[in-house]
Amino acid sequence: MKTLFRFAAAALAFALGADAIAAGAPKVIRIGVSQVGTGNRPVVGGSTIGVVASRGEIEEEFRKDGIKVEWNYFKGAGPAANEALANKLLDFIFQGDMASLVGRSSGLKSKIIVAQTRNGPGYIAVPTGGNEQSIDDLKGKKLAVFKGTAGQLQLARVFDQKGLAERDFRTINMDTATTQAAIATKDIDGGLFGADIFPLVDRGIARVIQKTGPEFGLTSHVLVTEDFEKQYPEIVQRFVNVVVKTQAWVGDEKNRDQVFQQWAKSGTPYSAFKRDYEGTSLKERQSPLLDENFYAHYRDSLALAKKFKLVRGDIDIDQWFEPKYLKQALKEQKLEGYWAELNVAGKPKLAAK
Amino acid sequence: MQQHRYWLGAGLLALASAGHAAAPSNEELQKQIAALKKAVEALQQQLDQNAQASKAAPAVPAATAVAASDAAGAPATREDLQGVQADLENFKYQVQRDRDTATATSTRALNVGGTIQARAAYSTQNTSTPAATPAGVVNDRNSSFDVPTAILAFTGNLYKDYDEGRNLGYRLSAGASQQTASNNSFLNLLDAYLTYSVLPTIDPATPRLDVAFGQQLLPFGLEVPATEDLKPVILNAQFTTRLGLAQRQIGLIARGDFDPVVDYGYNYRAPLLSYAFGVVNGNGPNTSDNNSAKDWVGRLAFTVPSDYNSWWRQLTVGGSFYRGKANLFVPGSSTLVGTGDRVRYGLDVTYNHEPFGITYEYIQGRDDTPIGTTQANTKVASIKSDSHTATFFYNFGEQFVKGFRAQGRYDDWWPKSYQPFFRYDRFDPNTDKTSDESTVYTAGLNVFFAQTTKFQLNVNYTDDKAKSLSYSDFLAQFQFGF
Repeated sequence: MKTLFRFAAAALAFALGADAIAAGAPKVIRIGVSQVGTGNRPVVGGSTIGVVASRGEIEEEFRKDGIKVEWNYFKGAGPAANEALANKLLDFIFQGDMASLVGRSSGLKSKIIVAQTRNGPGYIAVPTGGNEQSIDDLKGKKLAVFKGTAGQLQLARVFDQKGLAERDFRTINMDTATTQAAIATKDIDGGLFGADIFPLVDRGIARVIQKTGPEFGLTSHVLVTEDFEKQYPEIVQRFVNVVVKTQAWVGDEKNRDQVFQQWAKSGTPYSAFKRDYEGTSLKERQSPLLDENFYAHYRDSLALAKKFKLVRGDIDIDQWFEPKYLKQALKEQKLEGYWAELNVAGKPKLAAK
Repeated sequence: MQQHRYWLGAGLLALASAGHAAAPSNEELQKQIAALKKAVEALQQQLDQNAQASKAAPAVPAATAVAASDAAGAPATREDLQGVQADLENFKYQVQRDRDTATATSTRALNVGGTIQARAAYSTQNTSTPAATPAGVVNDRNSSFDVPTAILAFTGNLYKDYDEGRNLGYRLSAGASQQTASNNSFLNLLDAYLTYSVLPTIDPATPRLDVAFGQQLLPFGLEVPATEDLKPVILNAQFTTRLGLAQRQIGLIARGDFDPVVDYGYNYRAPLLSYAFGVVNGNGPNTSDNNSAKDWVGRLAFTVPSDYNSWWRQLTVGGSFYRGKANLFVPGSSTLVGTGDRVRYGLDVTYNHEPFGITYEYIQGRDDTPIGTTQANTKVASIKSDSHTATFFYNFGEQFVKGFRAQGRYDDWWPKSYQPFFRYDRFDPNTDKTSDESTVYTAGLNVFFAQTTKFQLNVNYTDDKAKSLSYSDFLAQFQFGF
């Protein structure tokens, strides 16, 4: 019997040590996407990473090396991705600003390597049939917020401008799909939406009472874990190369229809993206640049999140960003100057080519 | 466009009229051929024009071109709408027909579930049991196939409070279970209770208070309230059955928590204090109380307040008590001599920090026990018992990472996980008596290979000093839920 237990103990020790022993090239690249498509489908729209995933471009890049690519689309959005990251289950994450600020401030070791979206509008909508004209009219009423996500921070910016706070409303934590269902059944009095609001408006379910401007923009990025970045910098570079190449394609206005068509596979229709992007260029909202404007956004976001007690710890933004992979990708692909570099105020430092 | 229609129409008309004529002359046939030639030429001309137009336009996939023209605002035709309407009508008919003929319905929201275990066991200790009937006799058994647990459960709500989440719910389950003192082949009633959320449940940052009335598991320690599908080890810890805590009881129990820490950045909620307090019959499931004294049960647990990404996450210390009265009889008879105390105290510590976890439970029991041969000479002695149970487990895989499980996937994906564990389980039935304790060491592996299915492998080494026996059991079990 003692032999049996010694064997069991040895097996356990081996199993525990197996992860530590593993080294060399990764067998798998684990990518987390803080979003799902309609009906929980593993397809997302609104970002370059959605196009990269749909086309299998990362898989194609690493196929010759025999490296498997694993995509994980989280219904629980950024908070679920943070949970996975805390449990060391991911290498790269596409995430919004809020969730990653929480993650970083609570000790998750990561590096932001490429920007994804910026200046995306939000739509504060109410069920049809009411008289609300602005968010002020929702005071004391049930307002759906997907807490821990970029949407919460976007709403915080609106509150901040109007001198409001979450406590002025009966805020209810709801994910995107639940919010869409709840506004249809009038279980909530209002909510913050993205492009997914347009099908609800078209069906006569919801009414937009406020569209937020670029200053309240929804912002997202791709980050890599510090461990992975230290261990496999070449893999990180190749990953960024692929993303930037596709981002250039997405930013080309002649591809506008194709981009929206690609995104529409997520379940949010073509027309919704078309309306969401009316009057704005893809190149502007889908810029990969980690420019002054992007740094400033994260500094402002951190300050605001701390003001609203959404994050507790502090973050050194400069240490968090790692722009070297992006710079190399832009240089290799002769894309320097392709996107307009924005200053802190959001104005172009140099015009895009 | 008009031109080619004209010539095509003329050609077809000519052909049609030819069909009715008795025998066309050569001249008429020449005219028809000429008309057809012009129609073909007109069509070819249109085809060439289309080809030139598509060359001039940027190359886009066909699907995109169609969608782009749709997006440009081309109106839907009456035929398009009729097609959609027909599809909708077909769908409505199909839904109604399926509902009428092939759908289980219930008066209120209902979720049907269940847990089943199928087990193979081998022991180095043979078992022999005499019995009054041949069917009950066990003759030197050292192996067996069993279905130790088979539970069918119904849960749902009786009233759903959309505004604040003060819901009224229910649970009904029946089956055979390790936690029920029955070994027959009938379905026994297991859970049968009503629950009501006294406090709102909409906001995770607010405290909770639920009351449950009916037959239910006791909120005592760690292992006792765990349902069959959550336990890592195949066999229950000894104290749960030997101190009668595993039995479901009938009564009223309130469970709640206070001052929750909510880390929205990880969708994590951990109340600072969780509590339970209740009153039950104390004499087990599916029967009325056997005396007027009611048994009281309670638990208070403190969880270290922390963010999700902290080493303090899910470190909980808890204490439990159970105080009740049991009928006492002259040993070996049904002659009542009164009631005696039945008391249990428990202390538990949990550190469940994915990927590993440690749990420890200390239980102390005190039972008034009659000693004597007649009602007159029977005295009551207090027997103290205690138990130590410790479990260590380590998870390989993502089964227990809540957010990771809830993924958007096309197929029936589920994270495969492996959970080796070790458990130490010691029970001393009488602390005043030496060498009567029983210790079970268990090494095991749980393999989670589908959403609700796991394979369990346990090796138990039992050192039973009371019986002066030591032996090993090898258990392999599939547990699946639906």
